[in-house]
Amino acid sequence: MTPRMGDSGGGPMVDRREMLTWGIVAPVLASGPYGALAAVPEGLDALVVDSRLADAGLSALAARRTYTIDGDVTALWYNTLDTLWRKPGFVLGGITGTDALFVLERLAFDCGRRAVSRTELRPADRFGVAAASWVIAPVHPSVVKA
Amino acid sequence: MAVLPPDMNAATFSQMLEELRGAVGADWLWSSDEDLGPYRDSFSPVWDTAEERHASAAIAPADVPQVQAIVRIAGKYKVPLFPISTGKNYGYGGPSPNVNGSVVLDLKRLNQVLEVDDKRHFALVEPGVSYFDLYRHIQERGLKVMVDCPDPGWGSPIGNSLERGIGYTMPQFRDHFGASCGMEVVLPNGELMRTGMGALPGSRTWQEYRYGFGPDPAGLFAQGNFGIVTKMGFRLMPLPEYYRTGLITVPRRRDFVKLVEHVNYLSDSSMCGEAVYGSPLQRLMGDPQFLALATKLGGPSDADMDAAAERAGLPSWQVDLQFFGPEATTSANWDYAKARILSDIPGAKAIDGDHFPLPATEEQLLNKTQPYQTGIRRYGALGVPSLGIWRIVGDNGHVGFFPILPRSGEAVFEMQRVLGDALKEFPLRPFFNATTAPLYWHTYAFQMVFAPSVKHDDPAHNAIVHQAMKKVVAVAAEHGWGDYRAAPIYQDHVADTYSFNHHALRRFHEQLKDAVDPDGIIAPGRGGVWPKRFRK
Repeated sequence: MTPRMGDSGGGPMVDRREMLTWGIVAPVLASGPYGALAAVPEGLDALVVDSRLADAGLSALAARRTYTIDGDVTALWYNTLDTLWRKPGFVLGGITGTDALFVLERLAFDCGRRAVSRTELRPADRFGVAAASWVIAPVHPSVVKA
Repeated sequence: MAVLPPDMNAATFSQMLEELRGAVGADWLWSSDEDLGPYRDSFSPVWDTAEERHASAAIAPADVPQVQAIVRIAGKYKVPLFPISTGKNYGYGGPSPNVNGSVVLDLKRLNQVLEVDDKRHFALVEPGVSYFDLYRHIQERGLKVMVDCPDPGWGSPIGNSLERGIGYTMPQFRDHFGASCGMEVVLPNGELMRTGMGALPGSRTWQEYRYGFGPDPAGLFAQGNFGIVTKMGFRLMPLPEYYRTGLITVPRRRDFVKLVEHVNYLSDSSMCGEAVYGSPLQRLMGDPQFLALATKLGGPSDADMDAAAERAGLPSWQVDLQFFGPEATTSANWDYAKARILSDIPGAKAIDGDHFPLPATEEQLLNKTQPYQTGIRRYGALGVPSLGIWRIVGDNGHVGFFPILPRSGEAVFEMQRVLGDALKEFPLRPFFNATTAPLYWHTYAFQMVFAPSVKHDDPAHNAIVHQAMKKVVAVAAEHGWGDYRAAPIYQDHVADTYSFNHHALRRFHEQLKDAVDPDGIIAPGRGGVWPKRFRK
């Protein structure tokens, strides 16, 4: 079946070791407000970037291993996470609006995962949506990698 | 651990948890504050106040025998269980219980799509199946049926229908409980029961004839607390060959009365799907002069509203119509709708919308070719689950009051005026004003929406919202309008308004509850139904 939802813009998955040498992304993550993402001990398996956050630094992340959303996580969920999150492992980082994070956190919870770190990057706008960087990782024994 | 179950000390609670762990395994029982955080209602206006309801623990069984075991342990300890399917009932309480200290029974691991039949057009699912899961099951197998999804689609067909949730396709499918057929229920004593034809061993019509023989108790499990639904059947629409939309506008305010009557005819004749009403005048609400007119105490006059519409060059009302079926049928039904309405309402206009074969392409779903601005939620209208609505949820969410009103233009005008006036004292967006259109979600009734936002960092705002919710429930009831669904913190308020003959309905429910669940093991207080143990 070909999902009829929009492509989330992500590329093929990579193993965690490769992620640690994520050439283009790593320096950006290590700098400034995204430091928490680079500090994940095991590295990130992928990164979600919210295109509504017009940060010049984020444009460098528009490479493979990133999933670009416009605030709507439908395609990311249906095409990618719903399958990946049923299996053990997979640490996901993100730089998104808190509205998208809310949805991802709820979905992650159903799959034994939790936001293990979050950093507010920008306070809430008039719609109550802030910008945040975050890491969602497996916490339940059924999905924590041995 | 913040709270304990009612009438229980910490030692007994620990003992009970140990028994529950024995039933499901230690990994599937949670009682720490951190683990229970997701079981709070993050949309609650009483967030972080003494009124907020908290669970004492949560447990996720793997199968029906484990559900039965949990119910029996809860019965032994007289601990209330609060069953949830996927726990996405946001705006109506989310996963949080009615009673502090309840154990949330999280059914997310019962997640099997048991059957989808695209020749007899039904599905049988477990409570942890989401609309996404059902949709994926259908797509992966190329089955020719369409799901009627709520928006967002992350909830479960069972949970949504038991809340009497709605969708956006044809009338007989939009009412999700109405479209259900047959259920399996774990009763408060732990016994397993099937309704309708499911009660007849060997029957193969469980999802086709809902009644079986004798009284049908299925309705007791919707917004009720008489058992835990572990399987449920749903009728599915055969995948239509074609989809078509069209827009009709009418110039004057009072034209809405006739417009509604015509659309009622079309809908009740199964000629169209969800009719999406709107007022083009809403785009004037940013103009302080028009805002003052549309929210005028006692309501504006028709003449003043018509003059404003004429000045702006806008029609007063519009309705988006949707047609499903063979291409020729959709075309004929749209032609008939145009002819019927335009011949009766002077100045009415019609604009052809999109039309395409189903299933829709991605571009069609994203609605880039629609020749007019539409209020149709295209994903929902075509049975494709989505999470996109979260982009328009502001602040930390909202609570919802959706009063039921008659399908008439006059009733719409009355609700605009009465509830608009009643809520004027609260510094909130004017949900009810002279441009507020009804929602045609349920098959045979209108609703309107009051959904003020909540802010975790602004308790004063939340207190205003909480007061406004209680007032609007009461004022609506004075005019014969009742809420269709409510968060636990409002369920008693709403149930109080359904008071015919000295609350005969509530007393009947209480008698039933006392008979089958005297200790209140299953969600005491849900739907405003309390067993004797908890009645004040």
